[in-house]
Amino acid sequence: MKFLCVPCDQPMKVLNVTPPDRGSISVTYSCPACGYEMAMLTNPFETQLVASLGIKVGPGAPAESDKPKCPFSGMVAAAEETTAPVDDGVRWTAEASARIQSIPDFVRPMAKTGIERFAKEGGHAEITLAVLDEAKSRFGM
Amino acid sequence: MKSYHDIVGDGGSNILVQVAEQKDRIARALSKVRHRVAIGSGKGGVGKSTVTRALAAALASRGFKVAIVDADFNGPTQARMTGLRGAVPVPGADGIALPKSRDGVGVFSVGAYLPESEALDFASVSQGESHTWRATKEFAALGEILASVAWGKLDVLLFDLPPGAERTLQFAEFLGAATSFVLVTIPSEVSRGVVARSVAALANTENSLLGYVENMSGYFCTECGAIKPLFPETKDGIVLDLPCLGRVPFDPALAFACDRGVAFLDLPETAATRALSAIAGRLVESLEMAR
Repeated sequence: MKFLCVPCDQPMKVLNVTPPDRGSISVTYSCPACGYEMAMLTNPFETQLVASLGIKVGPGAPAESDKPKCPFSGMVAAAEETTAPVDDGVRWTAEASARIQSIPDFVRPMAKTGIERFAKEGGHAEITLAVLDEAKSRFGM
Repeated sequence: MKSYHDIVGDGGSNILVQVAEQKDRIARALSKVRHRVAIGSGKGGVGKSTVTRALAAALASRGFKVAIVDADFNGPTQARMTGLRGAVPVPGADGIALPKSRDGVGVFSVGAYLPESEALDFASVSQGESHTWRATKEFAALGEILASVAWGKLDVLLFDLPPGAERTLQFAEFLGAATSFVLVTIPSEVSRGVVARSVAALANTENSLLGYVENMSGYFCTECGAIKPLFPETKDGIVLDLPCLGRVPFDPALAFACDRGVAFLDLPETAATRALSAIAGRLVESLEMAR
């Protein structure tokens, strides 16, 4: 979808996107020529349809180096989920915590639980990349 | 006044770029997979998943490196069939390490992580309207899985499809022309009729249709040693206009193995396992000819 400032005949640019509020997001556009601003307010069906595509609405396309975006998460860049270490006696290093973000979020809780159990059984107090590699050797192809 | 096509970009979200990047990620993740084969039918209950699982095991026993994607999110069975329920998906540097069955088949199935008493649910801001977005979300999820798993170098990646002739077509379009199809039927007119619809639907795509497998093609009578029919034989029935890769008799031992997740290498040789092994051989020949 594109928006055109009719008086200026100029395509409008995304200024900002607010996080979802009761299923609605607000995307503000402005005309680079005259500065006129307008907002597109989605209803929950529209929000859900776009979210189902696994894409995000907002200024700035994801760079090639970005981490994978999960289609199960919200579509607003500002609302990106972060994984906090689980407070159950096993700590996650920042590197290990970042790596688990690559797992689709509907699988992530199972992965965290399983890896934490593996770490405890192996006597590891902290989950590091080395522990993940060890778990990978045990469980993976 | 400018039209849509006069304007470059979309104002900042770069939706088309994001979609292209999603496709690129999937292509990169599958770049070392030699053959992709989708196992479908159009009709539920004909044994697509059983045939998929058995073919994977037969291919693995022939020395091929093979994996299964359980694309039936609403009825995932591959985790149970391969003894991988509760398998831990571990993130490696290149993606999720692929869980492996005891007979050497890599398997990614939502069923590994979802109790069988629960239906797969997605977070939604639009309650009560899932018919408008659910299928789109499932394909996005499948794309995310394909892009997130470290498939590595595989000879064959099998997709266990959900039932539905229209779903078969949707998967053909989603997976692209590089994915070949095998259809599973049973010797009933009802099943052949639905599979014929899938054949017609796939005829409009660029995907190779390698052939069909007739499952439950009689049963092995342990008393007389003969294969006896399970379904009435018809002389003027629907003929599927594609190669038959083989016929698999119903085998309670195979059904038991799938229910319990028994490794196929632990199964005794039966008429069904011999048929499946022969089908695996024909499948490989067909794939090489189609390249």
